[in-house]
Amino acid sequence: MDAYAGNIAYIDLSAGTVKVKPTPQSMKEEYIGGRGFGIRFLTDMVLPGTDPLSEDNALVFATGPLTGTGIPLGSRYEISTLSPLTGCAISSNSGGVFGWKMKKAGFDAAVITGKAPKPVYLFLDNGEVSLFDAADVWGRTTGETTDIIQQEHDDTKIRVACIGPSGEQLSLITCVINEKYRAAGRGGCGAVMGSKNLKAIAVRGEQKIGVADEDSLNLIKDRIRGKIEAEGVSKSIQDYGTAVLVNIINENYILPTNNFQTAHFEEAEKVSGETIKETIFKKAKGCYACIIRCGRVHEIEGKTGEGPEYEPIWAFGPDCGIDDLIAVTKANSICNEYGLDAVSAGATIACLMEMAEKGYVDHPIRFGDADGMLAVLRQMATREGIGEELADGSYRFAERYGHPELSMSVKKQELPAYDPRGLQGQGLAYATSVRGGDHVYAYLISPEVLGSPEKIDPYETVNKPEWVRTYQDLTAAIDALGMCLFTVFSLNADDYADLMTAATGIPFDAAKVMTAGERIWNLQKLFNLDRGIGMDADTLPERLLSEPLQEGAPKGMVWHRDELLKEYYAVRGWDETGVPTTGKLKELGIH
Amino acid sequence: MNGPPERSATTPPATIATMQTVSITVKTFATFREVADATVVLNIAGGATIRMVLDVITTRYDGLGKMLFTETGDLRKYVNILKNGRNIHFIEGLDTIIEDGDIIALFPPVAGG
Repeated sequence: MDAYAGNIAYIDLSAGTVKVKPTPQSMKEEYIGGRGFGIRFLTDMVLPGTDPLSEDNALVFATGPLTGTGIPLGSRYEISTLSPLTGCAISSNSGGVFGWKMKKAGFDAAVITGKAPKPVYLFLDNGEVSLFDAADVWGRTTGETTDIIQQEHDDTKIRVACIGPSGEQLSLITCVINEKYRAAGRGGCGAVMGSKNLKAIAVRGEQKIGVADEDSLNLIKDRIRGKIEAEGVSKSIQDYGTAVLVNIINENYILPTNNFQTAHFEEAEKVSGETIKETIFKKAKGCYACIIRCGRVHEIEGKTGEGPEYEPIWAFGPDCGIDDLIAVTKANSICNEYGLDAVSAGATIACLMEMAEKGYVDHPIRFGDADGMLAVLRQMATREGIGEELADGSYRFAERYGHPELSMSVKKQELPAYDPRGLQGQGLAYATSVRGGDHVYAYLISPEVLGSPEKIDPYETVNKPEWVRTYQDLTAAIDALGMCLFTVFSLNADDYADLMTAATGIPFDAAKVMTAGERIWNLQKLFNLDRGIGMDADTLPERLLSEPLQEGAPKGMVWHRDELLKEYYAVRGWDETGVPTTGKLKELGIH
Repeated sequence: MNGPPERSATTPPATIATMQTVSITVKTFATFREVADATVVLNIAGGATIRMVLDVITTRYDGLGKMLFTETGDLRKYVNILKNGRNIHFIEGLDTIIEDGDIIALFPPVAGG
């Protein structure tokens, strides 16, 4: 017995057929699970030139071997697909309970191809795979969809991951929402589901998840629980949620404000984790097996909801020049209900605000206009008015009006809430991310700002390529294992290897964990290169290269692409144009 | 490398007490606000260091010293202190000299985001 469910379901929506096959041992050894499985399937199944919104694209839901094993923070599942937003192979993950229940339903992965002739939802139900008519839920919000599917089966234990109306309308910045409030957010996974007429995946599982060596695993669980709770590193986000970062990042003068025109927001305190705790906070909430519980349940005007997290707060708050916490929270809720990626949605409105202020677009909205922000967001969610043009993200919108440089994006995906001019390592992580503008494929904020595992100077470029590579590879492995990225603050590759070995019986050491991560990264890079996404795309918006920061300690700084990128490629064992060498691929066993 | 956390000195050493007084602002965040005010304005002798500022602050607020320092008097590993947005770790650490108008920000350990 091991921690894998043992089966993978292959669903052809065009034919309406399902096949279930054993999970290949070689996949476990080389790609672990989760993101690794997803990227491997995409590479094997999606040909270059494929339209991401066609039936030829594939969509992979996958858990990791540690998902649902009771290991603290072992809750994640991954969605992988060819992104309609970036053109890259992307994976996007989410927590909650869905991943655990998907594995208990008996599946390590669901590989979905084709396009259903009419809206359907997929049901993974204790080893059985079925397609159901989704007429009753098509057009519904994510919350309504979840409730209706549970009611149809008369079982509130069923967990649902679904798209909202925005995904049905193929907005390129749509996510998949599980359990109403948890988002696999980036890259447009929701649009891919919409293009396949797939409204939701429901899971029901009561099967036992075994492990190879339960005694050893229990000992390791105790060890890593101690590490996660040591030094009080988890207490701040237990008490204040991820929004505790608002003030920290602002005080470092790296909080992007007004579409990255500055990096310090005078009114940050008003949308901070500290203010949330004093005002709208109702209680903390955690994912399956979580001992941190960073989730927030809020109450506004007598109505409860979840969030907002740090990134949506930033996107609808400081990046739009808005200090109204209630408006920001409402914006986050709209994104949850309609299935929009809150980071991209907020950043796209910030782009609109700058273009409107500069007279490039005839629109009344301006920075700081909370009511205007909410009105535009509702239009984006339903593709009405200017929302029709904004619903595919900032890059396509800004390009349409002749100013793509005002889209603060990498590979057409909006950047998150840290200004890379004062963060040379994070800037490199943004530029080289194989899924586009993003912070969770390598969170250099940890050493450059938070001082974990050690403090490294955010303004320096020396050794940053090595740091970035290490974080990228380790994160790929964590995403494959099914663990929450928040473990990276406390655990190291040895810990993950010990967990993997005890849970699966497959011998892993730290080097093998890191090699698996590197293999996944390189495979994802090759996928992108095959689609023409190469060195030219490994950069940041021109503003971040040429317009120095104007305030605080990082005043005068820009991001230093040339010296960082060249060394990064060398550290990766790639050629000087960023292409993995034959030797590197042979070393990693990629074929 | 550092003095005990609950050192009682509330005034700078005589050698700098005669120097011109400077005004600085100390900000606390997250769990530190459970024991300290969010913003504190201090008038302190010019030439004082961050260490001296922390002496004053930890004397004023019970419990803050234990949150900042270990039992052996070292600054806790994941505590971050900024001087005008720059982590003092990359200046002179606790020996960093403060100047008039400085904003000193104190952050507890944070893992996540």
